[in-house]
Amino acid sequence: MGSGIGLEGAITSISRGGYGCISSDFQKVMVNTRKGKGLVEELRRVQKRAKSDAYKRLLNTMIENIISNTDIVKTLKNQGGREEEKRTEKVEKYIEELSGLPETLLSIGMISPIILAILAITPQMMAGAGDIMPLPDADAVGSIVNGGLFFTVVMMAMIGLKAHTKDPGL
Amino acid sequence: MIFYFFEVLNDHPLMLLLLNVGLAGLGGALPPIIERTRRRGLENSLPEVLEGLSDSIGAGQGLQQAIMKVSESRSDLFGKLLRETLDVSAVTSFDAALADFAMKTRSKQIQRVINLLSTAEENDAPIQEILFRSSLEYEKLNDLVNKRENDLMGQAILIILFISVGLPALIAFIVGLFAPESSGYAVDEVNSAMVHFFGAASGVAVLVSGRMLGRAKDYLWLIPLWMFASMAVYKFGYIMII
Repeated sequence: MGSGIGLEGAITSISRGGYGCISSDFQKVMVNTRKGKGLVEELRRVQKRAKSDAYKRLLNTMIENIISNTDIVKTLKNQGGREEEKRTEKVEKYIEELSGLPETLLSIGMISPIILAILAITPQMMAGAGDIMPLPDADAVGSIVNGGLFFTVVMMAMIGLKAHTKDPGL
Repeated sequence: MIFYFFEVLNDHPLMLLLLNVGLAGLGGALPPIIERTRRRGLENSLPEVLEGLSDSIGAGQGLQQAIMKVSESRSDLFGKLLRETLDVSAVTSFDAALADFAMKTRSKQIQRVINLLSTAEENDAPIQEILFRSSLEYEKLNDLVNKRENDLMGQAILIILFISVGLPALIAFIVGLFAPESSGYAVDEVNSAMVHFFGAASGVAVLVSGRMLGRAKDYLWLIPLWMFASMAVYKFGYIMII
């Protein structure tokens, strides 16, 4: 837009691809616009469905530009700068949050099998102590060990899930 | 020793299956690694190329001349592709050659820049300023991508080695030392449960490591081989201890 093309031209350029879901959204906007729907109406439809605040702000700026002819280039530059700062912060926070992940996974992955392995051989180790104290059934112990190991894997997956949920999307 | 290894494997069809699937999966795992290395090499060169183009255009040259100058000064893949672009532009239009260059790089980052350049050129926009601003922006972006890669790569490798190799070796040592079969312990069921546990834990570890680096899909190919490695370390570790 800084080189002089209009908003519609810029939307068309982005709708050609390469910008992820924004490209597909803009493609739908242009298709519907060519069918006779208003550009503002279409951008509002996309804005309603958008989940990201930054994307909503971008669409709002575009709508305001069409309605009130505001200085869109300057506003978009400011928005871009702000989002860039946020992205840098997000990446740094992500790296920091994942710094203890190997140790956490190893701790859980190590403690649980050690305890469960000892538990599994307890009935054999204490076979002679059956007269003094009641010993658990070997099948029941086997079920506990298998269940415990399964639970450990699930726990590891849950801990590792934060690598996915907190991804900065870079 | 090798025959014994195969004999043990023969008794564990799951491990045998994972080994075969894992070895076949290497064929799928290597191309994305090679492709990524190539693409990141091009993307890391992009800010320098854009700055060079900006300087040349600032010195009064046209875009085509600027590309020629930059391509001559570079001996890397970027320079080679730019030289090919100039050759293509001799038999077709310059815009078509640029589009062909963007396609060949297979990088979204470069394709966006080329799209921007074509639009700017069509509209007689100040290309030098656009190129210079783009070079700064892409330098920042690449620094961030590289920072993520460098900082998390060590941790991703650590997770895989800890969970897939270190942990099974340690547990095999403990179980083998304190509950050897030679002392009358019936540990077949425990060992079977542990082997499956380490396989699953290794799969989770590889997937988490891949996700940390933003390459979960590429790492999927490596999961069977690491699962096998983890199971084998436990199984053979235990046999070696007893």
